[in-house]
Amino acid sequence: MRILASFEWSFIWDNREQLWEGFKNTIKAAAIGIAGSFAIGLVLGAVRAHRIPVLSQIAVVYVEVIRNTPILVQIFLLYYGAPELGVHFETFTVAWLAITIWGGAFNTENFRAGFEAVPERLREAGYALGFTPLKTFLNVTLPIGGRIALPSSINTYISVLKNTSLMLVIGYPELTSVASNIQAITFRTFEMFAILAAAYLVIVWTLSALIRLLEARLALPEAL
Amino acid sequence: MPEVPDWFRPVAEYMLREGLPETLRLAAIAVTASLVVGVLLGTLMTIKFRPLQWLIRLYIETWRGLPILVTVLFIYWLPDYSVGPFHIQLNAYMSAALALSLWGSAQVAEATRGAVQSIPKEQHEAAAALGFGWVGRHSFVIVPQALRRLLPPMVSLLVNIIQNTTIAFVIGVNEFLQSGNRQFENLTTQTGNGHPFTIFGFVLVVFFAISFPLTLLARYLERRLV
Repeated sequence: MRILASFEWSFIWDNREQLWEGFKNTIKAAAIGIAGSFAIGLVLGAVRAHRIPVLSQIAVVYVEVIRNTPILVQIFLLYYGAPELGVHFETFTVAWLAITIWGGAFNTENFRAGFEAVPERLREAGYALGFTPLKTFLNVTLPIGGRIALPSSINTYISVLKNTSLMLVIGYPELTSVASNIQAITFRTFEMFAILAAAYLVIVWTLSALIRLLEARLALPEAL
Repeated sequence: MPEVPDWFRPVAEYMLREGLPETLRLAAIAVTASLVVGVLLGTLMTIKFRPLQWLIRLYIETWRGLPILVTVLFIYWLPDYSVGPFHIQLNAYMSAALALSLWGSAQVAEATRGAVQSIPKEQHEAAAALGFGWVGRHSFVIVPQALRRLLPPMVSLLVNIIQNTTIAFVIGVNEFLQSGNRQFENLTTQTGNGHPFTIFGFVLVVFFAISFPLTLLARYLERRLV
């Protein structure tokens, strides 16, 4: 195999500073995206589960539109489309905003399912103890439902992280776009793929392992 | 009825004539390949032979774990090479189809493994009692039953693949988003106003009109079949 024989580790090492910058930009956008989709998922998931009028219907429309359209088109609308309406976003703003909106929609479903899985009688017990609806949510529904929703929401965070790679199209210098630029100049395909695969797979596989661990640790007692 | 501006008709016609069929063809190729390879790998994974299980597990976790864009770029970047008399050269379209198929087959393989394992062992025993070998048992008894359970997730997969075909935009395939982008760029150079919000909004609406009924179908099947 001629290709593998010419694989040079030194090539990755020589470009380490650029690649490291790209990796940091990936993590930066992903961190905001994950935090944002957590917040949206928590609030709208609660709105959906408790069928709060008007807000619940708006949440349904938001979730269905985002989940049934490609995220790349959503990125284009934010980056190229919004200025036509007089709203100009920085590249970095689109990078974190697009994945936040996208992840928020998927997370709303995760949390809704989690909250709805909490038996009604537990909430009734909360009311019987004199808790207000908000207190009942915070002390009963959230701890139990949040636990049920955790594995699937981590899956969403994994996808949010992977979707940062799409910011290549708007020129946000995250890892994939940095590696792609280096490849375009040097044609070092295997070195660049190796570094991309290593970076993404280490994070994704670690988080997947965490999900399996949590599923075992957080499993609720049968009698619930 | 809101009035349709003059510039819009030729733009929409180009997109629906050139871009949309390309998107649907790409999705059809990727879904077909994903199903064939995925069902095969998922069924093979139920054989209790560790090295084979590990190998398929590595395939699944790699193509499912990577962002699809990274896979698309990697395959597109691959230099041409020859294997014996075969000269292998992938264009952008084939690269995108292959990358989507790798991702899709990984999803199908994982789902198939679960579905095949969920078939009760009495079915295996009954088929064996009728004289079927491993291949016959699986092709005529086990996998057909598993496929029924796989139907709802496969419709969801179709929705996902249709949406992910837009990633082929990056390597220049003229799928639906690309066709819209080309019209946007043309209008910008010709008239100074590219109408990006309307054009990409139209792309969004068309994707929604295709995906949403399929999503509802997947939900309906899930309720009916499980």
